[in-house]
Amino acid sequence: MMLAIDFVVVAVIFVAAVGAMSCKNLVSSVLLGGLASLVASYLFLRMGAPDVAMTEAAIGAALTTVIFLVATRRTQEVEE
Amino acid sequence: MAETLVLVALGIALLAGMLATVQLVRGPDAATRAVALDAITLITLPMMVGLALVVGRSIYIDVALVYAILSFLGVVAFARYLDRGI
Amino acid sequence: MKQLIGSVFVLVMGLFLWSLVPLLGPSAGYLSTYFTQHGVADNHTANLVTAVVVNYRGFDTLGEVLVLFASVSGATFVLRRRDGLPTAQPWPASEFLATGARALFAPLVVFGAYIFVHGHLTPGGGFQGGAVVASAVLMLLLVNRDRHLPHGLMTWLESLSGFGFVLTGLIGLAVGGSFLSNKGLMPLGEWNTLFSGGLIPIIYVLVGIKVGAELSALLDVMFHSTGDADHQEGQA
Repeated sequence: MMLAIDFVVVAVIFVAAVGAMSCKNLVSSVLLGGLASLVASYLFLRMGAPDVAMTEAAIGAALTTVIFLVATRRTQEVEE
Repeated sequence: MAETLVLVALGIALLAGMLATVQLVRGPDAATRAVALDAITLITLPMMVGLALVVGRSIYIDVALVYAILSFLGVVAFARYLDRGI
Repeated sequence: MKQLIGSVFVLVMGLFLWSLVPLLGPSAGYLSTYFTQHGVADNHTANLVTAVVVNYRGFDTLGEVLVLFASVSGATFVLRRRDGLPTAQPWPASEFLATGARALFAPLVVFGAYIFVHGHLTPGGGFQGGAVVASAVLMLLLVNRDRHLPHGLMTWLESLSGFGFVLTGLIGLAVGGSFLSNKGLMPLGEWNTLFSGGLIPIIYVLVGIKVGAELSALLDVMFHSTGDADHQEGQA
């Protein structure tokens, strides 16, 4: 049962990664990357590595998202 | 009996997560995607706690605690970005 | 066409990584066997990963801290003092968000400190706790963009923590015979209590403070990276 859940979760990460690659809007790519980070954290926990999962959680939940958003806003400002 | 119930709960949470993922991939604009990501985070939290119950280690709950506290910040940052710029 | 080439490349890399899978596992090497057999007896920590990161591979952790410092310094150097960049006017947050952020700031900082103080007992450690503390500062910066962090305080915290890490390693060299040695100076203590592990909690507290101050300074410079000609910042 846990193995079936693992398969579905890996399919979700694959879809998120492909979607983040092929999105035209930068904000949507950042959001799909955030989903990939969240699911990767669950997979680390499933494989028995809570330290790595906590690192992924602490960095991917707030910090990476905000840094990408601020960078997107700055570069768009320069081009306008 | 309790183990089976936790597995069933994990399955139902996974089903809800799949529905939210479909909306995340499909959503035409960024606001829909932000709300869908928030929903997926709130669904993955009980999955992590359920995993801690199934495996039997209480240290896995610390990871869920970190996510529970920090997911709110990402959503606030997105909301401010989509409104008028961060 | 570019996407096709990219997909083929990713597939080839995936096959290459798949061929490395038989190398993992319990028969991987003698180092992992040594760590699992002697880690707890040598260090008396409940978290074996912390013992490996801080004690057995402590020099690599020092290198990681150096890499983090170099990247934050580089980003600060690139992002500072670009006069003439237009920026959107910071608009105030709603009352709900402002009050909630002020109420949540202290518990979030305490939670981050809990993570890096208990690095040798529960999963976590210096880097994770520092990232949570930086997220707390990020919350304040999101709500009120005119707030500037005290630049001198951040610089002093960061420098003293990094210096303390190297100093602890040198003390280990003087007392125990090797850099960052865990034998001799601090008592190893009883397993699974707060005051155990010798030098490991001290090093992780210093790393946590350093990472928190660094990431907060990076966020501050990212949010305020315009030519603020009329705002005099205190240069340390």
